[in-house]
Amino acid sequence: MPETNANSKRGLSLDIYAVGLSLVLALLVHFNLLPAITW
Amino acid sequence: MATTIAAPPSHRLSIGKQIVLLIPGLLLLAVVGYAGKFIEQSINHYTKANHIVFPNIEYVLWAIVIGLVIANTIGVPRIFEAGVATYEFWLKAGIVLLGSRFLLGDVLHLGRISLLLAGIAITLSFAFMHLLGHSFDLKPKLTSLLAIGSSICGVSAIIAAKPAIDADDEDASYAIAAILALGAISLFTFPLIGHSLHLSDKAYGLWAGLAVDNTAEATAAGALYSDAAGKVAVLAKTTRNALIGFVVLAYAIYWASRGEAQVVGNKAAFLWKKFPKFVLGFLFVSLLATLGYFTKPQLTSLANLSRWAFLLTFAGVGLRTSLRDLGKQGWKPFAVGAIGEIFIALVTLGLVYGADRYLHL
Repeated sequence: MPETNANSKRGLSLDIYAVGLSLVLALLVHFNLLPAITW
Repeated sequence: MATTIAAPPSHRLSIGKQIVLLIPGLLLLAVVGYAGKFIEQSINHYTKANHIVFPNIEYVLWAIVIGLVIANTIGVPRIFEAGVATYEFWLKAGIVLLGSRFLLGDVLHLGRISLLLAGIAITLSFAFMHLLGHSFDLKPKLTSLLAIGSSICGVSAIIAAKPAIDADDEDASYAIAAILALGAISLFTFPLIGHSLHLSDKAYGLWAGLAVDNTAEATAAGALYSDAAGKVAVLAKTTRNALIGFVVLAYAIYWASRGEAQVVGNKAAFLWKKFPKFVLGFLFVSLLATLGYFTKPQLTSLANLSRWAFLLTFAGVGLRTSLRDLGKQGWKPFAVGAIGEIFIALVTLGLVYGADRYLHL
């Protein structure tokens, strides 16, 4: 399985990237810098 | 859940080139996910226009099925692999953004119940899995990995535990294959069982979050039932994920005491290293929503962003599931995993029934 070969340190940092991206998006939404997101 | 995103082909590549390498796979995720959404909407329009009574089949299922068909027929070409492997990243981003749909009070209420039930279920399932592993004559460390994978968080828990208990690559691969196969089966069986038992959205979501192994599969199993159930499943699963560090630490100490793993020095640092950081992001966004940081339309935008992130995740679940690889494993790890999963599903179902009755979900 590919996951077993993955580097755990890299996995950890990507965890933080996911949080970072989400917070940036939340800020952009808060300051109305993104158009309304529809589904 | 697999925590890690496949490392890019070479660390010597610049960040720009690494991002370019992700684009084909990201596009494939988007196309497969959107195709699932399109099929759901088309069926709904057609059945409504023709007054046909037909159950709504969520895009989640279509996206996973399309991904499974591609992965297991023509296969996913190498050029798409790096981008497709980012589905775990979108899962975590989706979970953090989903925090905006929870008031912190709800998180604490449901999270407390989830924590209590997860604690009971984990203790019982560990005892049961070790008994099973012994009966089936599995290697003790393989049994440990299966127990960790089926009790906590599937693949990421196995990856976190592997170096901590000095387990073999082969054992980890077996355990991961078994957990992935069982996760795929749960996707299709849990919603059926939930509907036949007429479980409420909250009860079903809690059950899926406590019993389905991988976070991606638990999220999908919840979303297949209803939007509200998907929300609760994510919360329950996130609570379970938060326990990874404690369980891996306990195993590391156990195997070190037997001289078969390295001694853990700084336990607090170990816990922090293994703690899934996106849980903190989820709580932070939930706190912001509770404090009124977002207006109602903004909350809707954040919820929709979370749904788009999950759309990419569900496409990835199908595209990354190789039925051939799953069939390659020995039958024993799969049998132990399967029996253990059924046990965990039954225990957690009983616990959820009890919680629904006495703790008012």
